[in-house]
Amino acid sequence: MRKTLLAVAGLALGGAAFAGLLASGALERSVVSRAVETPLGADQIRALAPRGAAVAAAADCYACHTARGGAPWAGGMPFETPFGTIHATNISPSPEGIGGWSRAEFHRALRDGIAPGGRHLYPAMPYTSYRGMTEGDVDALYAYLITREKMPVANRPNGLAFPFDQRWTLSAWNLLNLPAAVAMPDPTRSDLWNRGRYVAEALGHCGECHTPRNLMQGLRGEAALTGAVIEGLEAPDITPAGLARMGFAPASLARFMGTGLSAQGGATHQMFEVVHYSTRHMAQADLAAMAAYLFDRDTPGAEADPAAPAAAPLAAAVSGRARASYDGLCAGCHGAQGEGIPHVSVALRTNAGLRTASPASVVRAVLAGLPAQTFPGGERMEAMPGFAADLDDAALADLTNWMRTEWGGQASTLSPQDMAAIRAAITPRHAARD
Amino acid sequence: MTMPIQDQALSLTVNDVPVGPIPVPRGTSMQEFLHEWLGLTGARMGCGQGICNACTVMVEEDGKVPREMRTCITGAHWFEGRRVRTVEGHACEEADGSLTLSPVQTAFVEAFAFQCGYCTPGFVTAATVLVERLKAAPVPRDAVEAVVTEALDHHICRCTGYVRYHTAVRDLVLATPGLVTA
Repeated sequence: MRKTLLAVAGLALGGAAFAGLLASGALERSVVSRAVETPLGADQIRALAPRGAAVAAAADCYACHTARGGAPWAGGMPFETPFGTIHATNISPSPEGIGGWSRAEFHRALRDGIAPGGRHLYPAMPYTSYRGMTEGDVDALYAYLITREKMPVANRPNGLAFPFDQRWTLSAWNLLNLPAAVAMPDPTRSDLWNRGRYVAEALGHCGECHTPRNLMQGLRGEAALTGAVIEGLEAPDITPAGLARMGFAPASLARFMGTGLSAQGGATHQMFEVVHYSTRHMAQADLAAMAAYLFDRDTPGAEADPAAPAAAPLAAAVSGRARASYDGLCAGCHGAQGEGIPHVSVALRTNAGLRTASPASVVRAVLAGLPAQTFPGGERMEAMPGFAADLDDAALADLTNWMRTEWGGQASTLSPQDMAAIRAAITPRHAARD
Repeated sequence: MTMPIQDQALSLTVNDVPVGPIPVPRGTSMQEFLHEWLGLTGARMGCGQGICNACTVMVEEDGKVPREMRTCITGAHWFEGRRVRTVEGHACEEADGSLTLSPVQTAFVEAFAFQCGYCTPGFVTAATVLVERLKAAPVPRDAVEAVVTEALDHHICRCTGYVRYHTAVRDLVLATPGLVTA
């Protein structure tokens, strides 16, 4: 009995000591060097800012830190997480934003996830990825953001329940999920591959959506880029095998990232915003490097896209019913053979969305429609109407199964219940995106 | 890519009149069928992409509020067995052969709501669907403005008749008993 008491007391003391250590920040491992304690001069900031604009675009800061219809860089964009709603913060140089942040404080926020005053950032801010950014790029980004217009917009409170509203607990999260050191260039790989890794992993933070997360919402490194579900949709597998399955080769992937459109379809849902705010503004060389890295190549590949898969078998009754729905509701814009109409609607017969494991993205588009989208070079795709009232779950399952077998080349036996689940997850926000 | 033309029999009800079975090539749009087979040219070809809604007709189902359907991007065979009302089917024919406009049509004429009239069939359809919807589910008086906007929002008018269309529908809804609660 005394032994048990001692053990319990020991555990409690140890736990308290550990919690104290966590809260004190003694266990935090910073990757920020002492060199950034020296403030940047006004001339340095002026000189760095233009490059910072490119860094901000590649790191896609704007898409999250600007509410749709809100002031630029003033935050307020909501994010649904399993723990509640988090709002992106003001990062304009106003007192509500990063006004008054020193160069070193900005570095620590971006790479260690700790804002001035020791306030831990939530990992919705991808500091786990930005940790890999170079000191020079972080300086450039700081110079760019600190020279934007001040937006005196108050930050919106987060809707997180206890204990997730306790920021100090992130110290433990960081201990378990934040890499101690950052990846150094791999001397056995080409400069192209290494640059691609930097663009994709550190700046572009692809893994934040495309890598599955563990129960703590930490990225599962062993399953990097193999695809994940985010806000009810699949961020597809973008490993070399996953990209090939969607019909991409390095050249078409670079084109897709740069323009949002390729034979594989148009960027939709959250990926449209990634292209719109970030990748379309990247240099061609960075797009090529990112494509090479994601295909794990040391040289820019010039090969054609993989051949379309052969249609998978499907019961004649299902394809008959599906074909009637398709001819009636879809063929007017997407063509009798799924060929699409330039500048109006994407082709379906080569569409990546029909080749991915999850049907959620395609089914949500069919049910809720898609907004009109603009792409670089004056290109656009017209709005797609939603067909929730015209297709019941049985008809929708037939149509989805048929498109996925006919053009996606994969066996597909989705049930009306599967369709109902996707239908139930649709909110007015999905139908009314601007 | 050329494909052999394949006919498929089509039967439906248009403006309360049974039509068909008629052999119609598969892939024919509903708009083409209305124009070329039935001589009903009221559903207008505007964008051909499902955006302007000048081509809409009402689909009527027993026990349900009618809904709007675009005819330019919807296949004729999708309407197999369904009941459709085009803009030609809104006015009533009297015993002496004269026509009495529907309340929505009358409201548009009285408000000088349209100028060139190209988009009007679509607006008549949308406004009529709204009136039928409100008969089944009235809305509070202070919601009418927003409900009318939402009902007409997807229709494009290039003569910028929006305000008069909107006013005409709003006034009709407010003046018709049973469409608005307390």
